[in-house]
Order: sequence, then structure tokens, then C-alpha cells
Amino acid sequence: MKIWKKHLVLPAMASILVLSACGDGSDEPADSGEDTGQNGETEQQDEAEDEGEEEAAQTETGGDLRVGIEAEPTSMDPHNTTDGNSATIQSTMMEGLLRFDENMEIVPVLAEDYEFSDDATEITFTLREGVTFHDGTEFNAETVKENLDFVRDTDNGLARSSFFSFIEDVTVDDDYQVTIVSDEPNSAMASYMAHSSAAMKSVEEISKKLEDEDYNLDREGAVGTGPFQFVEWRDSEHVVVEKFDDYWNADEEARVDSITFLPVQEASTRVNMLRTGEVDVITPIPTLNAAELENEEDLDLYTGSSTDVYYVGMNFENDNYDDINVRKAMNHAIDKDGLIAQVLDGYGQVADSAIAPPVYGYAGQSVYEYDLDYARELMAEAGLEDGFEATIWTRNSTEFVSVAEYVEIQLAEINIDVSVEAYESGTLFDMLDAGEDTDLWIGRWSPGTGEADYGLRPNFASDRVPPNFNNSGFYINEELDAMFDDALSTPDEDEAMAVYADIQEMIYDDAPWVFLHIPDALIAKGTNIHGIYVLPSGAVNLNLAEIH
Amino acid sequence: MLHFVLRRLIGMVPILFIITIISFLFVHLTPGDPIRIMYGAEIDQETYQTLYEREGFNDPLPVQYGRYMVDMLVHGDFGQSYRTRADVSEEVVRRFGYTAILTVLSMFWAILIGVTVGIVSATKRNSIWDRIGMISTISALSIPEFWFGLMLMQIFAVQLGWFPTSGSGTWIHLLLPSITLGFGVAATIVRFTRSSVLEVMREDYVRTARAKGQKERVVIWSHVLRNALIPVVTMAGLQFGFLIGGAVVVEQVFAWPGLGSYLIDSILSRDYPVIQALILLFSLQFLIINLIVDISYGFLNPQIRYD
Repeated sequence: MKIWKKHLVLPAMASILVLSACGDGSDEPADSGEDTGQNGETEQQDEAEDEGEEEAAQTETGGDLRVGIEAEPTSMDPHNTTDGNSATIQSTMMEGLLRFDENMEIVPVLAEDYEFSDDATEITFTLREGVTFHDGTEFNAETVKENLDFVRDTDNGLARSSFFSFIEDVTVDDDYQVTIVSDEPNSAMASYMAHSSAAMKSVEEISKKLEDEDYNLDREGAVGTGPFQFVEWRDSEHVVVEKFDDYWNADEEARVDSITFLPVQEASTRVNMLRTGEVDVITPIPTLNAAELENEEDLDLYTGSSTDVYYVGMNFENDNYDDINVRKAMNHAIDKDGLIAQVLDGYGQVADSAIAPPVYGYAGQSVYEYDLDYARELMAEAGLEDGFEATIWTRNSTEFVSVAEYVEIQLAEINIDVSVEAYESGTLFDMLDAGEDTDLWIGRWSPGTGEADYGLRPNFASDRVPPNFNNSGFYINEELDAMFDDALSTPDEDEAMAVYADIQEMIYDDAPWVFLHIPDALIAKGTNIHGIYVLPSGAVNLNLAEIH
Repeated sequence: MLHFVLRRLIGMVPILFIITIISFLFVHLTPGDPIRIMYGAEIDQETYQTLYEREGFNDPLPVQYGRYMVDMLVHGDFGQSYRTRADVSEEVVRRFGYTAILTVLSMFWAILIGVTVGIVSATKRNSIWDRIGMISTISALSIPEFWFGLMLMQIFAVQLGWFPTSGSGTWIHLLLPSITLGFGVAATIVRFTRSSVLEVMREDYVRTARAKGQKERVVIWSHVLRNALIPVVTMAGLQFGFLIGGAVVVEQVFAWPGLGSYLIDSILSRDYPVIQALILLFSLQFLIINLIVDISYGFLNPQIRYD
């Protein structure tokens, strides 16, 4: 390991230095990286040694946790973020009134308690006292109002503003009590407020933006109440957060001094970095690498059901799919277990509803068993024993194409002659939005709120057909529409859950999709890293990470 | 000479102007708009419209083009990235340093290996050295950079632990990516140098020099190479421009924060301001490299004059 220092590096350095003298003189990479790469690794080891000597009596703390993430974050502003990478980083710095725990249960954070009104149009939060933001300002009811008013104002053009469009008013009852009023009954309000985009920012930051339109909240405004505070974001290099010493929750104080997030797009590179110890945690990992990592001694693999559902969407404006027998035949003709084994290397489960098990309100159905004979019978009943030709659109990433090709091969068994057309995702969205010539497509859906309404309504409600949202198959079912409204206006949780169960049964039976699979959420880490967990949404909670 | 350079520089202006139009049309006519790609299915029509309007997409294309040109020429900026809200000009300048150092070092490896092996192959034609040289270059040309980079990483970073796998920071971080990137170009330069040297060696003046009893080394160094290297320089210059294409892949594999990975990210997310800025920059770079190549002819062979 150390040989390179003597034998390789000196001549190499010499030749580079000679070269750089006649190059463009840019020495920026050399300057910038003192806290990255090999150096970072050494620092970490040094600190670990120091700890051993000095802090035997305390809990193991300190060190820089290095996390390899899939892509560059898009924003440090939770109100303007829709991607999981950004959410993972933000969740170390920002907190909301509520949050989802690892079982997707709602737990209070900045709120101590909440209560729905009888008609489910109001939700009242009792707030925690004595919480300060990283900039020293106080958290109170006014903060909540300012945040929610800012995010839902469409003039501010925030990506998540529509997410909060259910709010009609936010009233400050007293310093530490606030009520959110919805224009219609909405029993999902607590789930919305537990979502990462409902995190609270310092009011100072919001006023900076209101005073100066050019103030960049996406990059500079990451001032929250979380256990870590923002230090630096260098594009394509890293985002660094450090421990916030005045964190309000003594029980959940950060155990590490800082976290460095490194965007590394190439999955194999991420895996290699974990192997060499250049990073401590990687998220996510491809299923192909998961199996080999599982067997490595000094690495741990985390798997768990994600909230993503993969399906084959079909266009109801195409006569071929009018007959429910055809839709059911397609569901029976695909061997989902085979798909999971071959395409996902076993890291997944069969989709037994239109939403995944961790989604609040999920109710599993009995799955369409793989039965070719029955599928052929159903096709015959529909008068289509000779099948038909179909086109399946998919994103051009390997994973999506593999799924599409698997479906192609399986549907051929019931004489549906499918041709696969792969498009870059932007092009595919445009084509689905246009709603013309759509036939079959491979879809993936994960509800941002983690609850049933957002999991189902965008895909199956009549008013969500393109270009408004995700019902790209133009599936129209008025009975279902009424049930969606029913469920949302029921303040009693058990009753609402019963309606959602009925909704899922109706959807699964009616087969507007070919239900495929739910992939596992996969991350890997060194065995010396403790205290982290993965949310089914794929975001990783690093707040209580320890290195020892 | 100065006149020549000035005339060439002025000649670049209309070319760059045409490039701005083409790149503008290219990004705006590609299917998929940035808002839809960034926010996917999680956005409803109302917010979509707000954001669409905020970015000025409702205006006719000529108006949008005009705004882009005014921002660039009058305010001297390329706007903000749609994706990360970073200032595009600042970001491009910062990443240019990374890509420049990567491509210059890659070119250094490529020329060092390419010219040396090429000369040896040509002067020892049909020998075992020539055969080894030719077989390795054909192999090098057929190996995808992506795979080659991952192999280097696997062997030298993961197995042997000599280098970091990826990232930036120290000079050591630069070695594997630059070798990967230079490798393919080296192969091209080997073949080009070899055939060019062989061709020149058949010229009359080389035969004359030999007939006059000059030593073979002198013949090669002062007569053959001076002329044989002119096409090699042209080709190396062009390759230098093309290195950017390779850098896209290599930067991706080694998580090198240069312009190549920036371009990939911005194309995938239809980040118009970034794509336009990068296309313009790469074109400008190509033009400048060509100019440098032309000027360097004069240094290689003073008989070449610029009128």
C-alpha cells in the first residue's frame, strides 16, 4: 500500500510538474482537494486513533463521514427539491414538524403533537419550545406560517408549491400553536407535513429572498434546525455539513463532526470507492453489485422494500385493452418472480397492489399468478387468441430496457407481438404527455408523501390525465374518483384505511396496469459505520451515524 | 504573422455566431423540456406553467434567442443553471481548469507514447518491435475508454491500492483518468506517425542525405522528423479537440469534476443555459486549437509562410 509513495509518485509528480509549468497554469484541482480523497481517509483514521486515546469514557464520536451519492444534488432548499439525493443531504440540516421513521410511521419532530378537526379540514400543531435555527433565530408558530405561505405562493415558482396547494390558510393560534386549514377535507395532511419538502427554513432566509429576488435560496439558504449545519457545496465535488453544537435535541445530537457527500454517478466507481475505504456509505447500489458486496467481510449491505412500483401502463383509448380479459391475461402471462430473479438479481418483490407495502394505507391483494394456459383462455374469451401487435415505450436506461425486453418475451407467449422502443426520459415524458399514439409503456411510481392518496390518485383519477399529472393511460373510473374523495374526507384513520383498501382492491381487479415489481432500496456501508438507516423512499438517514 | 492571426481571429466571429444559432435551435428543438425532466410526474399543470413561464419558454424562439444573446454579449453571462441554480459562467470557468489539466496531461501521455512508438515502428519497419507496436495500437483503438478506465481502477486502485479510485484533489487523482484518456489518442498518433515517417523516408531528399553519408540518426532527426511531424501535429491538434468527447466518458467514470461530466448532466436534464455555454466554449476551443496548429507549422518548418 505504501510502496507507491516511494517508487511511483516521485517520478510521476516530477513529470507532471514539468508539464504543468508549460500547461495552462491552472492549479485549482491541487488547491481544492485538501479535504478529499486519500487525505480525507487519513484524517479519518487519525481521528479514530485520537478518539481511542482521549475519549474512552464517552460515547464514540467524531470523524468525517463520507457518503458516495448517485448524483449532484439539485438544491439545498427543501421547498424546491424533488430528488432523493438532495433530500438525503437536506435531512441532515433541516427538520419539519413531523417526519417518517424507518417504518414510514409519522413521528413528531418540531411539533410535539397534532390534532385533526372532526371534519378533517384543519390540523392543529403544538410546537416544541426552545428550538433555534443555525443562524440563532427562534423557531415558533410564525416560522411555520412564513414557511408555508412562502412555499405555496405560486409566484415564488417553487417546485413543491403544488404539493401544498391543499392549504387554504395557516393561522397562528399563539406563539407555539399553529393551525393549517384545508379547502377540502384532507386526512392526508399529516403525511404531507412529514414529507421532506415540508422542512422549516429560517425566516431570515425567506425574507432575504423576498427583499432581493436574486438571492439564491437553492444554494445558500440551507439554514434549518437540524443536527448538522451547511458548510460548502462545490458542484460535482462535494457538499459538506458539520455538527451544529446548539442542536435542541440532546438525545439525538450528531455523533460525527461532519459529513461529506460526494456525487459519483458511475455505480461501479461508487462500489470501488467503498471497497478502498474512500467513502463509508454508498447509496444507491445496483443489484448486480449487491450480491457480491453482500459476501464481503468488512462491508454491510442494507436492503428493504422501497416505495417504487414498476408497472406496464396501457392506453385505454386503444381498443385492444378495452376488454378486461385482455388486461388480466397480460397480468397472468408475466412471470414476476422470474423477472425479479433475472432483472433485479433477486432484490425485489412482486407488486401486489398499485402501491408498495411501506406506503401508508397499503393493502396487499392476491397476485395474478403466472399461468399461461389461463392467460391464453382469457385472450380467447376476448376473441383475441391470435393476439395483436403492440409497442412498449421505455426509458433507455439498462434497467428499464431489461424490464421491457422481459415483458416483450413473456407477452409473445400469448401472441402479443411487442416491439420495444427505448427513449431518453425527457423524450418519453413528452410523448406520454402528448397522449397520442401511446400504447404500452414501462412506468415507475413512488408517492412523495408516502401515503395512499398521492400513491394512487395521480395515476388513476379521471382528472389526472395528461398533460396534468400521471394518468397517461387515460383510465377513467368514476366510482373510483368518488372513493378517492371519500377517503380523503374521512378524519377517522381506520375508516379512511378501509376505503383505501377497497380502492386498491378495485384497481388491482380492474387491471389498468400490468403490475410488475417493487425493487428493494439498497445501500452499502463499512462495518465500522453504525446508526444509519434507509427510508423506503430511498433517502438515507445519517443524523445518528457513528464511526467506530 | 500578426496579420494572419488577427485575420483568423476576426474570421471566428461569424462562425461563433452561427454556432450560437445552431446550438440554440438544437437544445430548444430536442424533445423534453427541463421542467418536466427535473420534476417528472410529481408536478401538476399549474406549477408547471408557472415554472415554464418563469424561464421564459412561452416567448417565441427568436425572442428567447435574442434574450440569450443580450445576456451573453451585454451582461457577459450565461445565466443560471436550471438544475442547480448555479451561475453558469462561474461554474464553467471553475470546471474548465479541471478539464484543461486533464486533457493537457492526457495529450502529454498520448504524444510521448504515440510519437516514440510511431518512430520506432517506422524506423524498424517489419521488425518484432514494429509488430508489437502495431498490435498494441489496434488493441488500444478497439478498447472502449469506459472499460479501460474501470480496469485501471480495478487493478491500480482497488487491488493494489496505489491510487485513489476517483475524485479530485491531489495530483495522484489525475493519473488514472489522464492515462485512460490519453491511451486511445496515443494509438491514433502511433499509426499516424509511423505512416508519415515512412512516407517521408521515401522522399528524394532523404535518399540524398543518406547518399551524402550522413549518419542515420541525423537523417531521421533533422530531415525526416521535421517534415513527418507536420501532419502529426495537425492530427494531434484535432485529437486535442476530440479529447473533450473522451473526457465526457472518463470524467464520468472517475467522478472528475470537469466540463465533460457537466455536459452529460446538463444534456440529460436539458439544462439549456449550460448546454449552450458548453457548445460555444468547445467550438471556440476547437477554433483556437486549429489556429495554434497552423501557427506551429511555421516553427516546425520555417519554409512555411503565412500570407
